[in-house]
Amino acid sequence: MKLISATPWGIYSVWWRHFQVYRSTWLVNCLPPISEPIVYLLAFGYGLSPLVGEVEHLGRAVPYAQFLAPGMIAIGVLFQSFFEGAYSSFIRLNFQKTWQALLTAPLSYSDVFLGDWFWAATKGAIAGILTGLVAVLANLYAFSSLVLSLPLILLGSLLFGAFGLLVAGVVNKVDQVNVPIFLVIIPMFTLTGTYFPRDTLPPLLAQLAGLLPLAALVDLLRWPLGLVPWWPLSLLWLVLWMGIMARLAALRIYPRLFS
Amino acid sequence: MPHFPGLTAYDLWKSYNDVAVVQGISFSLQPGEIVGLLGPNGAGKTTTVGMLFGTVIPSRGFVQFGPWQIPAQAAQARAQMGIVTQDDNLDPDFTVFKNLTHFAHHYRITGQAAKRRAGELLALVNLEDRATAQVEELSGGMKRRLVLARALLNHPQVVFLDEPTTGLDPDARQDFWRLVLHLKANGCGILLTTHYMDEAQRLCDRLLLLQRGRVIDEGTPTDLIARVIGREVAEVEGVSGDQLNELAQGYGAWYRAFGSGHLITLPDQNPEALWGQIEAHHPRRLLRRQANLEDVFLRLTGSVLE
Repeated sequence: MKLISATPWGIYSVWWRHFQVYRSTWLVNCLPPISEPIVYLLAFGYGLSPLVGEVEHLGRAVPYAQFLAPGMIAIGVLFQSFFEGAYSSFIRLNFQKTWQALLTAPLSYSDVFLGDWFWAATKGAIAGILTGLVAVLANLYAFSSLVLSLPLILLGSLLFGAFGLLVAGVVNKVDQVNVPIFLVIIPMFTLTGTYFPRDTLPPLLAQLAGLLPLAALVDLLRWPLGLVPWWPLSLLWLVLWMGIMARLAALRIYPRLFS
Repeated sequence: MPHFPGLTAYDLWKSYNDVAVVQGISFSLQPGEIVGLLGPNGAGKTTTVGMLFGTVIPSRGFVQFGPWQIPAQAAQARAQMGIVTQDDNLDPDFTVFKNLTHFAHHYRITGQAAKRRAGELLALVNLEDRATAQVEELSGGMKRRLVLARALLNHPQVVFLDEPTTGLDPDARQDFWRLVLHLKANGCGILLTTHYMDEAQRLCDRLLLLQRGRVIDEGTPTDLIARVIGREVAEVEGVSGDQLNELAQGYGAWYRAFGSGHLITLPDQNPEALWGQIEAHHPRRLLRRQANLEDVFLRLTGSVLE
């Protein structure tokens, strides 16, 4: 397998194919990533704010809803990119045979893989940005902060999209996708500082949760409230995870298409 | 039609877990020629086709197509190839028309050019009135024709058809054959795999007979039949093997058990003599017919095509 055989047009063309499917039902596709954060922000932001009031972030008291907003952006990124990578790519690989069809065109494996990956990342980024816009409208995140956070949203989307693709390449039945969801995704989206500061957890659990990649993404997305001192390490941690996931995913999917 | 210098497969081998499924297949394909890979299920036909366009990586050997070597440059080579795999991998997310225009995008055919080409191809495969239909609404034959249309978007120089008519009714097969002959007339080189001998006999200029991954014989259909079997055969029921053995030896004919009776070749020179002898045994059933590829396969492999 040669990753160097990808061409910009090939990657774009595969991405474009997925985008055309999305575009044909864009309203349905846009609804979950918009409605989900609104529901979360309403439920947790307004519901819990009176009870919680303020939370401590890096030694500073911040309103709970403001603390929550970056966590919701990260969750939007996580869910949309992971599910596109895991479920949709699995279906395209095993039921619709889209990958196999694309490989009868002048596209290389790298083109198809990267196109799929970047599409999963695109969906994560769309969700992250839409969630961010809801937070901006609710006055919980500055618009300029959202613009500056775009590279982070993209990096997180690439990471979790690659994780989704790895799952698609590992599982044999679509139901098995539930295993990483329950073992990784749910613990990650609840424990990594999305809804509450990690330091309220028992120390060992807090440390373990801090190692999960979503923790780094949430910490970084919370930069307008204060940047964690180890932020370069967090950034590096995300890049490292992304690289490992993408490489493993490419290696796992390849033998499903080539023999 | 663009000229291409042909496609040549050099000594293709493929093993899975030390089991060789393709063993030393070599052949070439010229413009305007239909070459058939004929063999029973499991003979290695699909594996061979996979090696021609790069999804099966040969254990040994390679394919040269114009300036490209496959598998190393398979993606570039596919720009001039049309591939119809056994899977119906049409895009269920798109209409019939968009299946073509969106796939054309991968060949850098976009916008009006893509729409024009899709229109031409739908006319060619007789699906113009189904342009706005969803793929799921199409019959099996229509889906096969749409897959073929998709494979022709790029005006390919070679087309690979892997069991293209399996599961189609007789009318749909005839429709498909008409399209294949049209491509040949336009100078396309076509490689066809099939286990239907009538399809092979009707379409192919040259045949490679495959058994357990090896080419056991090759030639034109008429040449193979004439060389291996001769002009005519008799299907006989109700005459014992011993009696037929005696007759066969006397006339230098070949015979073997076939269904509930036997099959025996009639000599090209004076077939009437043997025929008369068989009749004299008052068989329960007796049929005299032209030899065909099925007989060739039976003689060469001892098994029938299935």
